[in-house]
Amino acid sequence: MVATAETTRSEQTDVRGDSAWVQHWKQLRSNPLGLFGLVLVVLMVGSAVLADVIVPYDPTQILVGPRLGPPSWEHPLGTDQLGRDTLSRVIMGGQVAMLVAVAALSVALSIGLLLGLIAGFGPRWLDNGLLLVLDSVRAFPVIIFALAVITLLGPSLTTVVLVVAITSIPVYARVVRTQTQSLSDNEYILAERAMGAGTPRILGVHILPNVIGPLLILASMDVPLVIALEAGLSFLGMGVRPPTPSWGTILNNGYNYIQNSPWPVIAGGIPIILTTLGFTFLGEALRDIFDPKLRRDV
Amino acid sequence: MTARTRFTLDRRRFLQSAAAGTAGIVASGLPLSQAIWAQEGKVLRVRSYADINKLDPGFYQNAYNVSVMNCIYSGLMNYKPGTDWATELQAAESIEQIDPTHIRFKLKPGLMFTGGYGEITAEDVKFSFERVILQDSPMKDDWGPLNRVEVEDTHTGVIVLDRPFVPLWNVSLPYGVGHIVSKEAVLEATGDGGDFGMQPPMFSGPYVIADWRPNEVLILERNPDWTGQKPGFDEIQIRPIEDPQTAETAYRAGDIDFTHVSLSSLEQLNQRAPENTVIEERPSLYYVYLGMNMEHPKLQDINVRKAIQWAVNIPQLLEVAYFGYADVATGMIAPGLVGHRDKALIPPEGDLEKAREFLAEAGAEGLQLRIDVLNQAKFTTMAQVIQAQLGQIGIDLQIDVQDAGSFWTIGMETEGERWKDMQLILQRFSMVPDPFYATTFFTCEQVGNWNWERFCSERFDALNREATTVQDEEKRAQMYHEMQDLMEESGAYRFLTHEGAPFIYRRTVLEPATRPDGRALYRYFQPV
Repeated sequence: MVATAETTRSEQTDVRGDSAWVQHWKQLRSNPLGLFGLVLVVLMVGSAVLADVIVPYDPTQILVGPRLGPPSWEHPLGTDQLGRDTLSRVIMGGQVAMLVAVAALSVALSIGLLLGLIAGFGPRWLDNGLLLVLDSVRAFPVIIFALAVITLLGPSLTTVVLVVAITSIPVYARVVRTQTQSLSDNEYILAERAMGAGTPRILGVHILPNVIGPLLILASMDVPLVIALEAGLSFLGMGVRPPTPSWGTILNNGYNYIQNSPWPVIAGGIPIILTTLGFTFLGEALRDIFDPKLRRDV
Repeated sequence: MTARTRFTLDRRRFLQSAAAGTAGIVASGLPLSQAIWAQEGKVLRVRSYADINKLDPGFYQNAYNVSVMNCIYSGLMNYKPGTDWATELQAAESIEQIDPTHIRFKLKPGLMFTGGYGEITAEDVKFSFERVILQDSPMKDDWGPLNRVEVEDTHTGVIVLDRPFVPLWNVSLPYGVGHIVSKEAVLEATGDGGDFGMQPPMFSGPYVIADWRPNEVLILERNPDWTGQKPGFDEIQIRPIEDPQTAETAYRAGDIDFTHVSLSSLEQLNQRAPENTVIEERPSLYYVYLGMNMEHPKLQDINVRKAIQWAVNIPQLLEVAYFGYADVATGMIAPGLVGHRDKALIPPEGDLEKAREFLAEAGAEGLQLRIDVLNQAKFTTMAQVIQAQLGQIGIDLQIDVQDAGSFWTIGMETEGERWKDMQLILQRFSMVPDPFYATTFFTCEQVGNWNWERFCSERFDALNREATTVQDEEKRAQMYHEMQDLMEESGAYRFLTHEGAPFIYRRTVLEPATRPDGRALYRYFQPV
């Protein structure tokens, strides 16, 4: 055990004495797309966190400008059909998107992790039972499931988070289960067992640290999917309630008045594209760094 | 035995044929799209805002179903296409009012049902009309005080009413329940003459249903047995497209040649209409209103309802939602119809001070309410304006956007308990040119059916019954004025607009035929 810890510690510094994080940063810097992704993600997350401070207008205040006005100095992204400032709505929409992504993925990740560990390390019958449940949930088309839940509970931010979380749990649980099963056959785990370590210790100390990394990378790559799902539901009128801004709502409103002004559609579409690109590029770069075996060029 | 010629198509022959065909088209000077259209036969491609879901005229539910029924069944009379409200004879050779409760009709001879069910007879008319009452159809009010139909001979009969019924001429005969079905066919299909839903056992109009692919297209073809006036098109393709923007896109792409469009698009269409397109604007009979559930605990105090009525500024609302293309309504009954009010009791602009006073009187400052709206841009936009307007008097309004399936059952007691939780609703109903058709849905009997505001007034019900018997237009109008006053005084209604009915069509393909309110009468469309 001591030897293992020492080896691990020695692997975290290279010959020049750089820590692992410095090495990872250098690797990321050498990947232009990854770096571009990081910049986009920082911008999006930063604007979402500081949204309340940086919005130029109240995003729900109607008639702060002309209706369906084109971009101007006062309203850089124009105004919508109610004369609301589109830039303010896009920024606040980012906050909603990030909130849904963080909340839903946190819930999905936690539950998925727990179920995956239980399924992977537990008895066969429990594994089979959990797999049946997880596959049943996965078999539901996401949008149909979402529409059913929203019809029952009513459209709201909480409902969207719930839908996204429930539909994401099986993915994480399956990944964790596979990783757990593969790790539990390793010799050091067998040795731990032989030395009398209990299941909680094996799971918490040895397996969890090994599965959490890939899981976080997977989650970061799922962020754009979650944001697109939230935008899709809001576009269909099943997401957040008006007048709360959401990128999907901005797109929907813009689409309905596209003959009058294309700007709301452009303004609602660009952040979705940028966020998707940002998280995808960053996620792929992180995957290459932390799990070189999965690198595309290998 | 017939001699058969073997025909083979090799590559050379195909190219020769194609070249000859193209040369012919070029020589004829026809645009390619029209040439293709001419090759395919006269096909009318139109859009409906919803897919069919009921084809039994005795149990019809919605206007879009009736538009199809107009093509596949015939009635004694129909609305005359044009810009003035009028009716004309269809399957009837003559109709005469013998006295206020007796109407004699004579059918045109030789009009046939499909499926070998023979000629349309007075017996079929009797069956078609009486089954609406006997089977307790939800639309039985359309036949009002119908007692029976007496058959005099094969083609002649007398409609007997318990009391005079003026809407007979504007609603019963030319609209949904006035269509004629075959007694033999319906009894064969249903056993008791009940609702045959989506499976018509025969047709009695110039078209028959050739194919229906739900949510994709309904195809009507000429009825080969039809001996009446020949329709203009060989085939009608009706595509259900709920969203008006999508319909406009479909029109621009050439998928349809006739569609209603949204008022918000009018400005752009007037500036940049697609090629060969005619834009027509017709006054609509629809009525849009803000309704309030009088039985909901938060809305039981009339002062709360009045506060909401007075807080809503209609011109502001319409300017935003309809881009100034819709006029303010004074009630349910549109201009041009008997019973239209010159003005509402509450001025269109409302009065915020007065609204605040009502709210203070109710002690309901800081009230939180919810409004249900259909998932369409204009309704969600209107709801957000109402939200802002009510916010000015301290009411916090939450907007619940509902899809059509969920929305149209909110206030119905037969569909669960949601009616109890309904608070405010943004509602829009279609109309036919008789005031009875609007008021009849707000009687006490309709509470929990279509009367979602749960407004119930004995005086209103009495007037509603009596007004159908009054021939004098002025006296009748006064009764409908009073009915609308009663509705408004209840605090449960704020009448907003009748919208408008703009539509576009390709003048190189068709000449449309519509009612004065713009509703399409496809069987009278003519190819160009």
